[in-house]
Amino acid sequence: MKKLLFLLLFGLLTVALVGYTMAAAPTSIIVAQDDSPAMMNPYGDDSDANLQYMANFFDGLVQRKGADGTLAPALAEKWERVDALTWKFYLRKNVKFHNGNPFTAEDVKFSFERTANPEVSQFVNFGKSLESVQVVDDYTVVVKTKTPIPWFVNNMHQLFIMDKESTEKRDAGDVMVKPIGTGAYKLEEWVKGSYVKMVANEDYWEGAPLIKKVEIRPISESSTRFAALASGQVDMLTGVPLELYDQVVADKKLEVVTRPARRSIFLVMGSKPGSPLADVRVRKAMYMAINEDEIIEKLMRGHAKPAAQIPDPPTVGYNGELKRLPYDPEGAKKLLKEAGYEKGFTVTLTGPTDRYIMDKQICEAAAKYLAKVGIEVKLDLKPKAIFFPEVGQGKLEMYLLGWFDGTYDMGRTYAKLVHSRDLDKGYGELNGAFFSDAGIDKVIESTATMLDLKERTKTLQQLNKTAMVDQIYCIPLHYQVDIYALQKAKAINFKPRPDRWMVYKEISFAK
Amino acid sequence: MATYVARRLIQAVVVLLAVSLICFCIFRYLGDPVISMAGLYATFQEREEVRRVFGLDKPTYVQYGLFVWNAAHGNFGKSFVSRVPALPLILERFPATFELATCAVCIAFVVGVGLGVLVSLRPYSAKSRLIMAASLGGISIPTFLTGILLIMVFSVMVGILPSYGRGNTIQLGFWRTGLLTLDGIKHLILPACTLASYQLAVLLRLTRAGMREVLAEEYIKTAWAKGLPPRKVIFKHALRNVMIPVVTITGLQFGELLAFSIVTETIYQWPGMGNLLLTSIYENDQPVIVTYIMLASLIIITLNTIVDILYAILNPKIRYD
Repeated sequence: MKKLLFLLLFGLLTVALVGYTMAAAPTSIIVAQDDSPAMMNPYGDDSDANLQYMANFFDGLVQRKGADGTLAPALAEKWERVDALTWKFYLRKNVKFHNGNPFTAEDVKFSFERTANPEVSQFVNFGKSLESVQVVDDYTVVVKTKTPIPWFVNNMHQLFIMDKESTEKRDAGDVMVKPIGTGAYKLEEWVKGSYVKMVANEDYWEGAPLIKKVEIRPISESSTRFAALASGQVDMLTGVPLELYDQVVADKKLEVVTRPARRSIFLVMGSKPGSPLADVRVRKAMYMAINEDEIIEKLMRGHAKPAAQIPDPPTVGYNGELKRLPYDPEGAKKLLKEAGYEKGFTVTLTGPTDRYIMDKQICEAAAKYLAKVGIEVKLDLKPKAIFFPEVGQGKLEMYLLGWFDGTYDMGRTYAKLVHSRDLDKGYGELNGAFFSDAGIDKVIESTATMLDLKERTKTLQQLNKTAMVDQIYCIPLHYQVDIYALQKAKAINFKPRPDRWMVYKEISFAK
Repeated sequence: MATYVARRLIQAVVVLLAVSLICFCIFRYLGDPVISMAGLYATFQEREEVRRVFGLDKPTYVQYGLFVWNAAHGNFGKSFVSRVPALPLILERFPATFELATCAVCIAFVVGVGLGVLVSLRPYSAKSRLIMAASLGGISIPTFLTGILLIMVFSVMVGILPSYGRGNTIQLGFWRTGLLTLDGIKHLILPACTLASYQLAVLLRLTRAGMREVLAEEYIKTAWAKGLPPRKVIFKHALRNVMIPVVTITGLQFGELLAFSIVTETIYQWPGMGNLLLTSIYENDQPVIVTYIMLASLIIITLNTIVDILYAILNPKIRYD
């Protein structure tokens, strides 16, 4: 009897112990992110800050995977280009939305048409570019565009599919706060300004994600965010501020992960007739006057890579041959003299103060460098909410901008940033200082319908060279570096994405 | 009294109108919200369509008229950023701010008045001098520094108190409270102390000054001479007479704490109204900013009126006619 009791006890203890160790294996993660979601409606905000949250609740027809950002099938198993205007998508079967509704072609049609409604969408441009969305059968959709769009599918990872039935049925306010998608995570609770809690979608079509519970705490104040990690309240941190980098590295409990970001930072110069900047020699002199190595070393504390152009290497149109002009203030002075500006001139440099890493300081440094060659810079620094509308209205003379294109294709970006302002034709809406070059305009227009990838790559590379080397549209400065910090003890297996999205199905625990 | 309240109400409406008008004028210089609302890649035509949909193509005075008309019906418009009605968006954050401000006021009142009395009894002792010196610090050190220092000491170095957020909260009807969980209260301590630090110092100095004056009065000497216990002399005879200005200041400051605890809320990432206001300003979310400022004005006007009325009750010598 006693022996039996002992065995029973021993057995219970073993079970309890096993159960305990199993419970101890981590399945949940708490992350402090530097940006918070504005809403849970996947079209209402086209910023990466919001899209990265949506990528966990929703799927697009395609997705960008992992550390390389490779284009991969998601809700569409495959797709083909029928002709220049027509795309055919073959949809994945047996996919269910979080509310149990099956995913079908009707949902795709509904979602794409919804993007054209400005009341709920910032993807109006995409929505309006569609001629029709045709449901062939439950799992085939044919999409026709009004004009050929070379990067059409490349950007579809940002266009998430919503459930038609529940979105139509619920009131608009509910749709804004409760996401119903097919994604790897379901929203458990969102308390605005406090946290977003998500739980794994066990029926996810790609297999249930490894981390079962995710709690994201958006903390915009950088020192508070760092304190949360240093005091062990969170497992991981995005957006480590440069000024705290050394402290993060010095902390033995923390691990730092960095990756070159896709975003490049550059100074755009207008070429309005009559302005000194209209002379390409002047623009070149200004380029040569900027000491980018010092900016990287002193301001960015080494966390940036020099850039010779706007696009980053994986982008169609990136030209590996381009090199930065060397820092040469004497040469710059000579060029200015040649151009007749020996005594210098005055230029206004506008820039945001709350958008890019060290944006304000970079503008201040640029002003000092330009002063050394005799150019007087008036600084006009302002919050992004005021700065970007001014770019859109073309009010500026010279300004700091950062950019990367979600399509991995430089064509769309160049049409917006570099083409002369031509609002009727839809070109140059973000050409903020009236830069204009007829040759560049022509090439940009020719690429609008250029679909063959080889030809397109060659043309865009050439265009890039013209804009950066011959015409000097801007002074390219550097690519930013994204910095993350993790608790070593948690052994998180994390590889940052090029677009900086936090996609939790791609994260796991090493142990 | 009734005429007084009525007059205050009319004043309130005028102030609110003026505030909203000023907000509208300022927004004309804040940049065009349409460019971000239409999305990064929108064409000019698409932007203009967005402008029409949101009624931003109309002349400013029409927009203002519409705003006032809708506001009178309780509709303050939709946030440009999160695209939900602005008033509920702000009110959702009210409990967090209210709990923080209330706790801060309680701390400031209890500790401030308590220390003020203590200091006034022995104004020249070393302890009193130390407290007075510290109170100078409380008045002159800006909130953001107090906040960061407290986080550094209590969260990062000692590690006993959390550095941000509200912790576990419980939903009671429309009110989300953090006062019912241990975690919630732990999260409240640092921000409440930070927010209270200035108020505390002010109340302390006010109480001390008042007490010193009153303690020198003849009737206090009489009270001592009668042999009354010190507790009675100090609290019943002296402190009571000091309370009127102290209560007034506390009330007025409570309104300010409710409306403008922005810095503290940002440092501690407290999910309150101040935090929302700051984010909205960065994002140029005009409907939310106007609604907030009008709400803040309303709170301050209401509290001022209540304080005035309380004053009349506390001190019957005062008449409002």
